[in-house]
Amino acid sequence: MGTIAGAQNILAGLKNSGIDLIASVPDINMLQLLNLLYEDKDIAHVPVGREEEGIGVCTGAHLAGKFPAMLMQNGGLLNSANGLTTTALQFGIPVVLMIYYAGDIGDNAFHMVGLVTEPVLQGLGIKYIVMRDPAKVQQDIAGAVTLANSSKRPVALLLTRAVL
Amino acid sequence: MKRFECLQAIAPLIKDELFVTTAGGATNEWNAVRPSDGNIQVKTLGLCSSIGLGLAIGLPKRKVFVFDGDGALWMNLGSLATIGLHQPKNLIHILWDNKQYESSGGEPTVATAGTIDFAGIAKSAGIKNSRAVGTVDELKDAVSFALNNDGPHFIAANIEAGRAEVPPLKYDELENKYHFIRYVEDTEGKSILRLPQSASYLLK
Repeated sequence: MGTIAGAQNILAGLKNSGIDLIASVPDINMLQLLNLLYEDKDIAHVPVGREEEGIGVCTGAHLAGKFPAMLMQNGGLLNSANGLTTTALQFGIPVVLMIYYAGDIGDNAFHMVGLVTEPVLQGLGIKYIVMRDPAKVQQDIAGAVTLANSSKRPVALLLTRAVL
Repeated sequence: MKRFECLQAIAPLIKDELFVTTAGGATNEWNAVRPSDGNIQVKTLGLCSSIGLGLAIGLPKRKVFVFDGDGALWMNLGSLATIGLHQPKNLIHILWDNKQYESSGGEPTVATAGTIDFAGIAKSAGIKNSRAVGTVDELKDAVSFALNNDGPHFIAANIEAGRAEVPPLKYDELENKYHFIRYVEDTEGKSILRLPQSASYLLK
């Protein structure tokens, strides 16, 4: 479910970095963060039914001048691989991928998804940070947003339970 | 009716609206009929409706057209539910239903058997202004209505298969993106491609 303090820390990092639109598909470990997003007035929250839709929404939002992020589980990263490749990467779209790292060491579900997550990101050529230190959350988010904008590419943040 | 004659018929109704056009013949034909930096091509089958939704949410005062295909919409049918959920007033989604995967060689789609009702699905998904059209006049009426009334709008245009002889696109996807963003910046008066100042300029 995550903690309220962890969710507040992440939301503050997103706002401080200028993220103003988030597309999402839920995961139980991001429940507190999603609850904050549903209440938040500064960030446009766009729930979608499948993660690849979210990559499309974030692309359109960027073309409109927004700073978008996509919140999802790593299973959703797999669902969105074609959209990431032939839209986000091929057109050069900056989007921050906020991905819950299911199947990470210490997690008890979706171990196969956990196993392939980092190799898939590497195969797609998407740089990423595995977020394990709550004290570095703000810095990690700011760094990902800076690189996404300067490289005009997706950049991923793998959220572990330690920071949620 | 043919897609090309439909595009020619609606082009005079268009001013500065933005267009997100699906991978396939609709993109080439529309850019031949109405060349504009306000047109953006799509390379991912099915994603045009989602990109259009993001654009419409990001620019709520600007009309955004999506040109979709029956094979493409089948791949992302859930986007109709998502559009129905978010109710973008400025989104006009046109389905060019030729009942085949034209760009893949004409294989059948979900629409070929004639059992699916895309406009009915859109309406049931919450897109109230949803209709099917079978003639050029009906299409022009539907587009005029959509331009003058709040949406979201969905128009399923039943067309014959076949492409018009038109030139290739002028821009690849990257050049298209930059032209499109600069067009949005100029017409909306906002900065999108905010390039950072180089570090040397920050020296005191």
